[in-house]
Order: sequence, then C-alpha cells, then structure tokens
Amino acid sequence: MKLRRWFLFPAWLWMALLFFAPFVIVLAYSFLTRGPYGGVWGPWTLENYQRLFDPLYLTILMRSFAMAAAATALCLLFAFPAALFIVRATRHRNLYLQLVMLPFWTSFLVRTYAWMFLLRDTGLINTALEAAGIIHDPLPLLYNNGAVLLGLVYGYLPFMVLPIYATLERLDPSLMEAAADLGARPMAAILRVIVPLAKPGILAGSVLVFIPCLGAYLTPDLLGGGRTVLVGNLVQNQFTGARDWPFGSAVSITLMALVTVLLWVLLRRESEPLV
Amino acid sequence: MKRRDLFLGLTGLPGCTRDTRPRLNVYNWSAYVAPETIPGFEAEFGVRVRYATYESNEELLAKVLSGNSGWDVVFPTHNRIGPMREYGLLAPLNHSWLPGLDNLDARFRAPEWDTGLLWGVPYMWNGTGIVYHRKIKPAPSRWADLWNGRLKGRLTMLDDPEDMLGACLKKIGYSFSATDPGELRAAEREAVAQKPLLRAYLNAEVRDQLVSGDVLAAQLWSTTAQQAIAAAPDLAFAYPAEGFPFYCDCAVILRESRRARLAHQFLDYLLRPRVSAQIVEATKTATANRAAQDLLPESVRTNPVLYPPDAIFGRGEWPRTLPPATQRLRDRIWTEIKSA
Repeated sequence: MKLRRWFLFPAWLWMALLFFAPFVIVLAYSFLTRGPYGGVWGPWTLENYQRLFDPLYLTILMRSFAMAAAATALCLLFAFPAALFIVRATRHRNLYLQLVMLPFWTSFLVRTYAWMFLLRDTGLINTALEAAGIIHDPLPLLYNNGAVLLGLVYGYLPFMVLPIYATLERLDPSLMEAAADLGARPMAAILRVIVPLAKPGILAGSVLVFIPCLGAYLTPDLLGGGRTVLVGNLVQNQFTGARDWPFGSAVSITLMALVTVLLWVLLRRESEPLV
Repeated sequence: MKRRDLFLGLTGLPGCTRDTRPRLNVYNWSAYVAPETIPGFEAEFGVRVRYATYESNEELLAKVLSGNSGWDVVFPTHNRIGPMREYGLLAPLNHSWLPGLDNLDARFRAPEWDTGLLWGVPYMWNGTGIVYHRKIKPAPSRWADLWNGRLKGRLTMLDDPEDMLGACLKKIGYSFSATDPGELRAAEREAVAQKPLLRAYLNAEVRDQLVSGDVLAAQLWSTTAQQAIAAAPDLAFAYPAEGFPFYCDCAVILRESRRARLAHQFLDYLLRPRVSAQIVEATKTATANRAAQDLLPESVRTNPVLYPPDAIFGRGEWPRTLPPATQRLRDRIWTEIKSA
C-alpha cells in the first residue's frame, strides 16, 4: 500500500510545476498594473477586471462563445453518425478508428497551413472549380468566419468522434433490435434509444471540443486573416503587441472561470460521470 | 567492460569537451546575419557565441525586461531603445572601442532617436510602403490609393497596429507618431472604412500570395517586398507620397552583460565593411553601413526599394516611442478595428 501512494507523484509534480505555478503567476499578474512600456508593475488593482465589462470586450467574448458553440454543434452533427457507422461496421473497424486519428500524425499548424493552400484563390478547390467551368471568378473561401469555423470543426472533430464511439461501443446491440420489435423505425430507434444512451459520450465530446475552440487563436488568426478577434487572439495580442500582461492575464482568468462554471453546471445536472 | 566503468567513463565525457573559451550571447532577429558571420567572429577572437533568434520586438522585450536574461547583445528597433534605456537595461557604448562607427552612412551618424549614438549601433533598416502588381493602372503611389474599391478582396494591410494605424494617419495628413485622441479616432474611421475592401491583415505571409497573384496590392515592409519582387518581377514597390515610416534595428549591449569589451568587439566586427557586405548579400536587407555598400554590386547598392534615393528618403519618418496613454488608446482602437 505504501508504494501505491507514490504512483501519483509524477503527475502531482507535473501539475504543480507546470499547471498550478503558472496559474498562480497569471492570477497574480491579473491584479497588477502594466508598466509604462510593458512589464508588470504595482500597485495591486481590480482595474483589469473592470475593463472586461467594456462592450468591446464583451462582444469579443460573446462572439467566441458563439463560434465555439457553432463548432461544437457541427462537430456533433458530423461525429455522431460517423461514430455510429464505425461501431456498427462488421469489418475494418480498427481501420476506421485509425483514420479518425490519422490527422494527429501531423502538426496542427502544418494542417492549418494546408487548409490555406486548399482554400486560397489559386488553391486547389478554386482551381478545380474553375477548370470544371463551374465558376469564373475564385470564390472567397479563405479569410472569413466560415473558414475559421471550418478550421475549428476540422481540427477538433476527432475529439468528438472518439468519446461518442466509446459510449456507443458499450451499448448492447440488441437494444436496436428490441426497439425495432416494438415498432420503432430505425431513425426513431436511433433518436429515442441510442442518442439518450450515448449522452455521456456526447457530453464528453462536446466539452473536449468546446473548450479548446473557445480559446483557439491559431485558427482564427491564420484562416480568418486577422479580420475577426476571438478571445484567444485578444489574450495573445495583450501578451505580445499590446504588452499589457495584466489585462491579458485578467482575460485568461475570466475565460477559465467561465469555463469552470459552465462545466460545474453541466456536471451537476448530469448525475452520470463524464466518460 | 564492467557496467560501472562504462558509466564512470560517460560521466567524464562532458568534462573532456568542456569549452573554456569566453562566451558571448547574441540574440538577434531571424535571418539577420550571413552563415559565415558568427563562425568568423568565433575563429578570429577565440570565443564562443551563443546565438539565438526572435521574431518580434515584443518577444525580445519580454525576455530582457527581467534584467537577467543571459544575453549580451540584442537588436531592438530604434524606438524601443528609449524605453529600454529608461528601464536601465542598456549599457552605454564606448566609442573608443568602436572605430568602425566611421563606416556608418551619414544618414545614421546622428539619428534622431539617439543623436550621439550613445546606446545603439544602427544595423539594418527598412521602410513600410505599398507593394503592388504592375497590372494595376494607375499604379498606387499614395496610401489613399489603398482605399480604392477596385482593389476589393485583392488588398491586404499589415497585421501590425503601429503600421496599419500609421498608414491611416498619414493618409489624412497626421504624423505616424500621433498622440492626439482626435487624430487617432479619425484614423480609426479610415481603417474601418477600408476594412470591407481588405482580404486580410497579413504580415510577411502575404509574400507568397503576392507572388501567386492572389493579392494585387499590399502594405508591406520594403525588405519583405524586395523578396517578393525578386520572385515575381511583375511586382513593384512604392514609398507612398503622404509619407511613410522607417525602422532601424540597432545593436545594443545590455547592462547585465559582464563581457562589455567582447560585446564591443562584436559590434565593431559587425561594422567592418566586408562582414556587413556579406550579411547584406545573404539577407537582402538594407545596411546602415556606408563602407559596406561600396563593396556591394551596383544593382544592390542602387536598388530603389532597399535604398531609396534622398528625395524619397526625406519623406520618411522615424516612428517615435509612444507615451503609455497613447499606447493604450492605440491598442483599444486596434481591437475595435479588428472587431468591427
């Protein structure tokens, strides 16, 4: 029994050094003042949090929530049928799962750049459509909110597929047969039997997609062309261009607090544990 | 061999390779020296150089603000020298150790940000202007030409508050370094009016899209523009008629450095005509070193993008360090423009 206590030690050490300590630093910064040319100075203040109530920053926060929610909904729309398909596949199930995870073999940054090459005016999609005579002028596919949404859905889709797959796999296949025997059409059986039972997976997937989408800054920056600001870009800009670390910290802490509250509400409502 | 012997042998290894030569720590912009620059200095002075690169002044400032960054020589842009000096981060230059200062171009002997060259040695410089495709008729020559509806969707501005707002300020006749809130708000209205025409706010990454023809006109730095023009001769560059900014990156010695003599030797080494010319040939940038320019081929020396003639040079403005209140207002305006 003595030895068992030590099993968690590496994880604790890791969390303490690389999560808790930085978190405390960011928390402390968020109550300090920006120096005349950047840097973090005294005195202690609440001003950084007051600034957040400015409609400008509230709009950015709302926009980010809307974008993350849209990305999560779209991911769910694509992931649920895909997960169901993989679970019910009699052959090649492992191959399909590997395909879902295939994108992770390359860096996210490289894949985002690949999307830029696909979407741009002289990119593959526009060139192909023009060659086929379907369009005459290139479609503005890159540098808009649609491109950002596409990038987010693409990037986080596997995080939705895998938890849903995990819950569906544990369901008894005879449930569908039972539903059919009781007169449910296949679609009704899926919506009224499978979906409710898959709820823990759907919730877990939604959390895994929503949170990173909320803080995303790379995708909006590269695929959005800097034309929109999401909260991730706001934080990044405060730490780089604006050199206002205290305000950037306050935005980060607020974002974390909002996500924590959201998760807490979700978890309280769900008696079943996530995953 | 016994395992213990092997381990003992391995632990001794670092001791054998331990380098006792003095070490100079140099932190510079990426792609800002020639491949032979650093090895040449190490060989001649019998020292080691720890060399690393950064991509923005903010990255540099974030590191050195602590006053304990471990770097000796860094290369901030001219308008960052004032704040760094005020924060007590810089060591004054000892001119008797820098005979090479005589090689500087007359334009950089007494620059307005450091008239006595007390803190930094001007290294490389560039300006911001308009790079455009030659098929645009008439060719853009003013910032105002970037508000032309015909460029809709094929136009980009820099993703940089200083340059982007600066162009708007210049368009309506104000200084690049404007601090007046009224002037800044007027510039914001210009930016918001222009936004629907813009494809995106892009920095150096616009280069490829200019070359491929996706983008027809862009606000861009002259050195980056020159790289695009070298790849696509259909492109040209204009220093806008209303005025435009110049930026000069300067070599400075940090006060925390304990190797002031060696750091000066490095700065003086960079001032040598031969060394500086090699750097220019490798990086295709504009040097502040007159003697080095004389070693360069005629085509480089007279390149109007990198080395604009005096008449154009006179229209340029060296952006000043902005007071904190203005920085904050500008950041807010920038967020509003991006969020609009």
